[in-house]
Amino acid sequence: VSKLNKLYDDVIKRHNAEPYHFLMKPDPANSIRAYNPICGDRFDLFLELDKGTIRQIHFHGFGCAVSKSSTSVLAKTLEGKSMAEAKEICRQFLRLLKEEISSHEILASEEFKSFAVVREIPARYDCAALAWEETLKFLASAALAPRNS
Amino acid sequence: MSIPLSHIKQLFPIFHQHQKLIYLDNAATTQKPNLVIDTVHLFYELENANIHRGLYELSSEATQRYEAVRATVKNLIGAKSEHDIAFTKGTTESINIVAHSFLSLVNEGDNIVVSGMEHHANLIPWQQVCLKKKATLRIIPVNQDGDLVLEKLDPLMDGRTKLVAVTHISNTLGTINPIEKIIAKAHKKNIPVLVDAAQSAGHYPINVEDLDVDFLVFSAHKMFGPMGTGVLYTNKRHHPLIQPLNFGGGAIREVSFAETKFMDYPFCLEAGTPHVPGVLALGTAMEFIEQLDLHETSNHTYKLAMAFRNEIESLGFVQAVGNPKNSGSIVSFVVDGIHPHDVAGFLAEHQIAVRAGHHCTQPLHDSLGLAATVRASFSIYNSLNDVGKTIDALKDLKTFWS
Repeated sequence: VSKLNKLYDDVIKRHNAEPYHFLMKPDPANSIRAYNPICGDRFDLFLELDKGTIRQIHFHGFGCAVSKSSTSVLAKTLEGKSMAEAKEICRQFLRLLKEEISSHEILASEEFKSFAVVREIPARYDCAALAWEETLKFLASAALAPRNS
Repeated sequence: MSIPLSHIKQLFPIFHQHQKLIYLDNAATTQKPNLVIDTVHLFYELENANIHRGLYELSSEATQRYEAVRATVKNLIGAKSEHDIAFTKGTTESINIVAHSFLSLVNEGDNIVVSGMEHHANLIPWQQVCLKKKATLRIIPVNQDGDLVLEKLDPLMDGRTKLVAVTHISNTLGTINPIEKIIAKAHKKNIPVLVDAAQSAGHYPINVEDLDVDFLVFSAHKMFGPMGTGVLYTNKRHHPLIQPLNFGGGAIREVSFAETKFMDYPFCLEAGTPHVPGVLALGTAMEFIEQLDLHETSNHTYKLAMAFRNEIESLGFVQAVGNPKNSGSIVSFVVDGIHPHDVAGFLAEHQIAVRAGHHCTQPLHDSLGLAATVRASFSIYNSLNDVGKTIDALKDLKTFWS
C-alpha cells in the first residue's frame, strides 16, 4: 500500500466526502474555533451541552481531508459523552497520533486507527490534531468555569 | 557569452542528489549553484576571520571581500554608489529597518499606502507603524484578474501620505506590477516609494537609478544565494533618515557612557558580526546571475508558467488564481473539491515540490474568497518536462480522489 493510500484510507475519504453533522449552527456560548494560521485550515465546532453532557456537535469550515475527517470523527465520537469522558477520549486520540498504543486498549472508535498514519507523515500531524487539541482546551477550561446548565 | 539554458541544471548539486526532484517552490527559495555553496564552505575552511579592525591578513582579506560585494550589488541593480547598499538578514529585515526609521516621520493623521497583494513582510511593518502613530494604512485594490487597480492609486495619495510600499512581483499571483508608473505617480506628489523586489531581483533586470526608486529590498536566497542574507538599497537622499534597528559594536563612531555617535548609512545598520560568508556567497550568486542572459531566462520561466497555466485550465477541474496582464514565473491554483494541502501532499509523493497555504498573503486570499491555494513557481533549471509531469500527477490526483 502506498503512503498515499495509507493516508487517505476509506475512513478518511468517507468522512471527508460526507462529514458528520457538517452544518453552520452558531451557538456562541459553546463554540470552538480550530484554526491553524500556518495553513489556513479553520473549523468552527458547535457544542450543545446539557448538564455536563455533550448532546450534539455540529461543525463547519475549511480544511484538508485529514483535518476535516478528523473533525468529523471527533463530532461523531464525542456526542453523548460526558465532558469528563470527552476529555479522556481527546487525550487518547492525541496520544494515538504520537505513539503506538497497546492492542488491549479499547479505542473510543475503531476509526481512530486510520489517523495513526500521521506518525509516519509528521507534516500532517497538525491536520489530524487540530480540532482535538482545541476541543481538549475548551473542555479543560469549561471544567474550571462554573456550571450554568 | 552567457551560460546556455541546457547547462544550467547541472550546476545545481541538489539535482544530482535528488535526481527525480521536480522543484516548483522557487518563490519560497531557489536552489543554490555549486559556486555559491563552495563560497560558504571555503570561507569557513580557508578564510575564516572576523571583518573590520583585524590587522592580520585573513581579517583584512575578509573585510575587503565583504566590502567588495557592495560594489557587485551596486552594479547589478544600477545604484550610484556602493554606500547605498546595506546588508541585512533578508527582505523582511530590510523592510523592518525602513519602517522603524519611518516612525520618526509619521504622525497622527498621516497615511501609508500599500497594495492589496503585499506579502505579510511588506504589510505588517507598515500596519504596525500606522497603529503606533494613529496613522491610516491605505490599500491599492487588486481586481479579480490579480492586477492592481492603478486608477485608485492617485486618490489614495495626498499631502499626508508618507510612503508607498509595493511589491514588484506578487509572490502569489505572479503579477508583475508597473512599478515605474507607480513611482512616477508617487513622485509627482513628492512621496517616496519602497519596492519589494524579493521575487524579481536577480531574475529581471532592475536599475534603481532609472526607476528613481527610494528604497529597494530583496533576499539572497530567492536568487540562488544563501539564506539569512539580504539587501536594503536606499537612495542617497534618504540616508540620514535610516536608523539602526540593532545597536552594538561595529556601527559606531564614538561611544561614551552618556551617548553614542553612529556611523553613517549603511554602516550604522551592520552592528555585530554580520553573516560574512552569506554576503560573500550573495556576491557569488550575483556573479552567477551576471553570466546568465536574464532576458532569455525570464522568457524561459515565463513560458513554463504560461504552459502550466494553459495546461491546468484545460484539465477542467483545476483553476488558476487570477490572470494578470503581465506576469512572471508564478502560478497559484485550486483543484475542485480537493484541499490545497491534499494536492501538495499528493504531488510530494510524486517528487514534485510545490507550496500550499496562503503564502503569507492572507488578506489577498481573503479578498479573492480563498482560504488557501497551491502555488507552482518556476526557475531557470525547470523544463517543459517538469510541467508535463506535474500535469500528469494532477490527472492521477483526480483519479485517486474520485
